[in-house]
Amino acid sequence: MSSTTNETPDVTGDETGDEMHGWRKIIHTPRYRMMIFAMIGVVSMSLGRVLSGNDDLTSSGTFGVALRTAAPIALAGLAGLFAERSGTVNIGLEGMMIMGTIFAGWWGWQYGPWMAVVGGIVGGLLAGLLMSLATTTFGVNHIVAGFAINILAPGVARFMANELFTGVPGGSVTSSPGNSGSMGRFTMPFTSGGDLFGWQTPDVFGWIERQGWFILADLGGFAKGMTTNVSYDVVLTAAIFVLAGYVVWSTSIGLRLRAAGERPAAAESLGVSVAKMRHLGLAISGGLAGLGGAVLVLFANRYQEAQVAGRGFLGLATLIFGNWRPAGIAAGAGLFGYAQGITLRTSPEQVVRALLLSAAIGLGLSAVWMLVTRNFTGMGIAALIGIALFWAYYAAERPNNQLVFVTPYVVTLVAVSVGAQRLRPPAEEGIPWFKGQT
Amino acid sequence: MIKRKQMLAVAVTAALGLTAAACGGDDDATPVTEPPATDAPDTDEDMTDEDMTDEDMTDEMVDGSDLSVGLLFDITGRGDRSFNDAAAAGLDQATAELGITGNESTPTGDGDRAERLQGLIDQGNELIIGVGFLWGDAITAGAEANPDTNFAIIDSVIELDNVASLVFAEQEGSFLVGAAAALKSQTGTVGFIGGVENDLIKRFEAGFAAGAEAVNPDIEILASYITQPPDFTGFADPARGKEIAAGMYEAGADIVYSAAGASGLGAFEAAREAGEPGDVWAIGVDSDQYELVGEDLQPYILTSMLKRVDVAVFETISETAGAGFSGGVKVFDTASDGVGYSTSGGFIDDIVDQLDAFAEQIASGEIEVPVTR
Repeated sequence: MSSTTNETPDVTGDETGDEMHGWRKIIHTPRYRMMIFAMIGVVSMSLGRVLSGNDDLTSSGTFGVALRTAAPIALAGLAGLFAERSGTVNIGLEGMMIMGTIFAGWWGWQYGPWMAVVGGIVGGLLAGLLMSLATTTFGVNHIVAGFAINILAPGVARFMANELFTGVPGGSVTSSPGNSGSMGRFTMPFTSGGDLFGWQTPDVFGWIERQGWFILADLGGFAKGMTTNVSYDVVLTAAIFVLAGYVVWSTSIGLRLRAAGERPAAAESLGVSVAKMRHLGLAISGGLAGLGGAVLVLFANRYQEAQVAGRGFLGLATLIFGNWRPAGIAAGAGLFGYAQGITLRTSPEQVVRALLLSAAIGLGLSAVWMLVTRNFTGMGIAALIGIALFWAYYAAERPNNQLVFVTPYVVTLVAVSVGAQRLRPPAEEGIPWFKGQT
Repeated sequence: MIKRKQMLAVAVTAALGLTAAACGGDDDATPVTEPPATDAPDTDEDMTDEDMTDEDMTDEMVDGSDLSVGLLFDITGRGDRSFNDAAAAGLDQATAELGITGNESTPTGDGDRAERLQGLIDQGNELIIGVGFLWGDAITAGAEANPDTNFAIIDSVIELDNVASLVFAEQEGSFLVGAAAALKSQTGTVGFIGGVENDLIKRFEAGFAAGAEAVNPDIEILASYITQPPDFTGFADPARGKEIAAGMYEAGADIVYSAAGASGLGAFEAAREAGEPGDVWAIGVDSDQYELVGEDLQPYILTSMLKRVDVAVFETISETAGAGFSGGVKVFDTASDGVGYSTSGGFIDDIVDQLDAFAEQIASGEIEVPVTR
């Protein structure tokens, strides 16, 4: 994250032009805009909660669901990052996740939860290497190869499930028997009331959340949700994100990986094997996608056919929204996780109604901000949508369920389209590379 | 009602006889030619009393050796231990007892439905049964183009002369498990999870709520759906099923009924994490799910709403082979034993009398179960 400004000079900074001076130049830097955007988000969520009286909008429970929902999507997105940064467009993420679920279900049933994690990685890795064989070694079109993986994986999974689970108590051709043992859970001591050598520590975040203070309670709910009852595979996911950011942007192997996706000819002229980097990128990609599948298996405690349910493609979307960066992917997956998460809460229609209010407030604040920055077109659009959402909040005492389910995604789309306007994919991703090519 | 039960008993006994004979044949390595013929009449005699009518007799005598039947599964096909396996059981029973020829086809997605249907038509099947409402469009088109072939569809209504629409009174079965939930609930709060919010699944919710409220008018019923049509992933996503169920248990529900296909497994899992056996329960759907889940989840399955797809399939085939095919809507309800509840695990033995009293009231029309809430 720390290197976000110096890595791609062509997108950062100077779009401001000569006529901008002083403070207005500062507020147009991407980092500053991002901060403003985040602040508007926090304030409007908190205001929405206070004014609607629906605490579940920012409760620790909601954020906990969001985290669990986001983790597999985020892993798929990160998997996409490794493939695409090294130059391969990977639309086979869905299939790789499916391979992860079948292996995780198998090993989790046989050997326990941590082997489910290993199994998921192995399953996805195999699919990744297969795709790499096609795209990197044989130069197959990346879209075709990825699509083939997506078609192949459910068939392989069905075949394996039939061989492994049919006739076993609790298993069938569509689902594995339960995992032997559950993955442990982590609750942070002192901040969230975790146990420390059998002593129940204070629950500071929870206490703040219960006070209902403006903004503080919402942040408390967020912090508690992120640190309470978190399954260790999700903790592992968070650690992998930090590690991935470091490896890809601060190590020489990461530089080579990115070079293979940005300027393969240049990389090869400096002695980097582009093919090796692309094999490595897809192997890591497959492993991470498979791990995403394992996270699903661990949460459901079993393999279930079709349980991936499009999360691989959602991951691909977060990769693009997140501008091919780990932090962006994490934020995008978090938004999706939150959007899906609130529809899973008890009485989701009330939470969604509160979200409508928050979105209206957020757009109102954005309109004010655009007025300050003299973006009058944007201000007009934001104000209009904001008023429409406020009307929807006011008019819908009990929103129609179709609306309930679509609203979070609309809000996510709005947030994403405002937050991520200038995207830049790796320059030569998707183009097969043959050694010696110029 | 009694008649049907007896028929079922006869059928089951005959099937068991067949199985036993087959096993015996394997063990002794001696060809067993006609074991059912010796078993079945015995059973008939045992079971025959004044209720046994001519019609029942003809049903037993039906010879379907000239009939070939095509069965179109829903996406997972044989081996899902639920909906599809129930349909397969009906076909297997017809093959064994009536001597029909069964041809099966399992789609791999929505794209190949029309082709699979055409394949069975071209094969010359006289009766083609589509398992699940997702076959609606394909069968409508196929039935219009082939007026001489007979079709049946489960869970959907197609108004054509050569289509039999086999629908179930899911609301009645759901009423019974709703009553069971209310009788067993300690907290006075129960939950319902639907896989996809369409009219079919709403019937489950309506019946469940009506049943629960018939026992306890003050009961609180939490209801949620996983996805909205046309997104049908809600039937196969245990992760989201688990999240919703966990939220319900957290909100004070101690019994959650899921009509959500494989997502229901997630709800069972949530029950296991929410408390000790006996404190929290889950209710299964379609098949007797107690028999399908592993030992770790069995103590949490209070009962299951049974939807006898096997009965519907078998009776449609048997009718076609015997008296002849007839189109129109055929409702399988409490009165015809098309829906009901399971008692595996013995957790509701103490309230079976009350539930059967409700069932009789429903069958007699004294209680009319609503289809919308």
